[in-house]
Amino acid sequence: MSTPTEVAQAFCAANGHQFIGPVGAGAFKETFHVILATGEPQALKVYQPGFSPERTSRELAAMQRCAHTNIGRLTSFAAFYFDGVQHLLSVEEFLSGGTLTSRLHRGLLSGPESLDLGVQLVGAIAHIASRELVHRDIKPDNILYRADGVTPVLVDFGLVRDLVRTSLTQTWLLRGPGTPLYAPPEQLRNEKALIDWRSDQFSLGVVVAFAAFGFHPYQDNGESFALTVEHVAERGQQSARFVGAATQSGMPFLIKMTAPWPVERFRTPESLLRAWGR
Amino acid sequence: MSAYHQMGHDSENLLWADGLDQFRGAILSPVNYGREKVAAQVLWSRQRSGFETIFDPQLYVPNSERGCLREWPYFPDDVDTADLASDSWWEGLLDSLVEVCTTIRPTAVCSPAVMPATYPDDYFARMVSIGDQLFTRLDGSGLQSVQTAVVGMPELATPDRPMAIASILSKSRTSHIYLVLVSRSEPRRELIEVEEIKGAMRLIAAMQAAGLEVTVGFSSSDVLLWKAAGASNCATGKFFNLRRFTRTRFEEPGGSGGGQLPYWFEESLMAFLRQSDVQRIMPMQLPVLEPSPNPFGLQILAQMAAEPDRAWLALAWRQFMFWFADVESRLDSAASTSGALLRNADSNWRTLDDADFFMEERRNDGGWIRPWRRAVAEFHVA
Repeated sequence: MSTPTEVAQAFCAANGHQFIGPVGAGAFKETFHVILATGEPQALKVYQPGFSPERTSRELAAMQRCAHTNIGRLTSFAAFYFDGVQHLLSVEEFLSGGTLTSRLHRGLLSGPESLDLGVQLVGAIAHIASRELVHRDIKPDNILYRADGVTPVLVDFGLVRDLVRTSLTQTWLLRGPGTPLYAPPEQLRNEKALIDWRSDQFSLGVVVAFAAFGFHPYQDNGESFALTVEHVAERGQQSARFVGAATQSGMPFLIKMTAPWPVERFRTPESLLRAWGR
Repeated sequence: MSAYHQMGHDSENLLWADGLDQFRGAILSPVNYGREKVAAQVLWSRQRSGFETIFDPQLYVPNSERGCLREWPYFPDDVDTADLASDSWWEGLLDSLVEVCTTIRPTAVCSPAVMPATYPDDYFARMVSIGDQLFTRLDGSGLQSVQTAVVGMPELATPDRPMAIASILSKSRTSHIYLVLVSRSEPRRELIEVEEIKGAMRLIAAMQAAGLEVTVGFSSSDVLLWKAAGASNCATGKFFNLRRFTRTRFEEPGGSGGGQLPYWFEESLMAFLRQSDVQRIMPMQLPVLEPSPNPFGLQILAQMAAEPDRAWLALAWRQFMFWFADVESRLDSAASTSGALLRNADSNWRTLDDADFFMEERRNDGGWIRPWRRAVAEFHVA
């Protein structure tokens, strides 16, 4: 069985692209930096063969439906035969500014930087909502920066939920897909009927809280992430230190964004945009 | 914000009754009126500035009581047998409903909603999806769309259920919810299940806080509860046939009118009284919290004095409806509060009890007042 790196290298060789090297790996795909024959740097993603073709197809279809400065652009996708196996590959814009995760390793964002991050990504989730989509996996690893270092871009629609199509998540699952630390209660509890764009709103609120304050809205001092996730799943209360920090930092809307029930959050993308001053 | 007139059997004349002009609008009833009558009601309403008409397709009404509904072109013959999960079935219904409504041209149209056997999340999600389709179809027509929410009261007694239901209903693309609370209470009896009432109040409060306008249909004196929860509007009609929506109300003898005895609505007790009770209560001058003078109440009292045997049913309906619109307005303006009104009623019932005063109807004993007080108090604490 060939490795994703071998597949990527073979694909580049066959198409006259330059293979630069790996940039990241997820559970079901690996990403490589390549330079197309046209000279344009791009991200080449190689999907694990046989991994849920339906989910992959929805991911690509979702990306095609979106067109926003703060959302990763899909250039093309193709089936590629290598070593007798069919592989699915996608070519997306290459974002060289690194992830928000790596940015946060250098320290928390300042107040203005946090506000700017939030404002731009609120625009992104409002755009995704307008396409009847829910990203469901907003987290620092899935937020990359453009080369300018200040434009965040939301990537990886691998868990996207298309609200006009049948859900691919089984109702008997104890927990729905998503990264638990950033997921809202309805995703953690697999309450499918409650999931909509407000689930992304919650995750974005958690991301901004981490970026600005360094802790999760539901995390008490010294509490483990596992326990915090339990608090969220049980629809407990946001921590007093978070409420205080959000209020003092001039971002009180983070409290509403991360409320336990969707009905308590901003109801429409427009109202969320207004809260962020857009 | 305002009271709506829930149209019912033979209640057209109340639409244009002098003294009932506090009603902001009417919920039109295709069960009780055919297309021509409803069209005439809409036309009439346009003569009153700002008077709104809301067309409720009333698909949730049980088979035995559909009245004129079957004559309406949008009403499907197979509503009791069709696969309600079928998109094409709903699309046909919506197309026809929109065609009818764009001809009649009420101010707003409620989304069609069926009465389910149970109330799982999927049911509410489906009804919101139907409502959103209506919203899209009415876009550009000049007619507003309203999301109908049929919700079982027992369901709301389960912790977290009101918030889950509110979360689903608030997905609606409309900003106006028409809430039909389905109770298991006996016909003519007040709601007394505290947890159910609190759940309904939480549902209303959550939706209102989300920026939705909630209109509670089929209300009665329980308007106090729904206004305490923050409901924008409440609708009522002629007691007792419209004061509450229950499956069992359709099993009342006579069905359409629920009997023909006149009842006086007494705010000092938050109760409906028979004539003999009114005559015994009035001299007691029970304390009451500054209601507006009710012109129909004055007419009834004058008539009782002059012609005690003369029927006053039509005046009774007006007396209740005037009170309803008046208390709704007082609660909105904070001139009264539900808590204070109920406390006063509780105190007056205690006075009657201490005096061994018994109403003509055995169960008209104010037994619902304390559950209501408890519901309001606990709702505010939560």
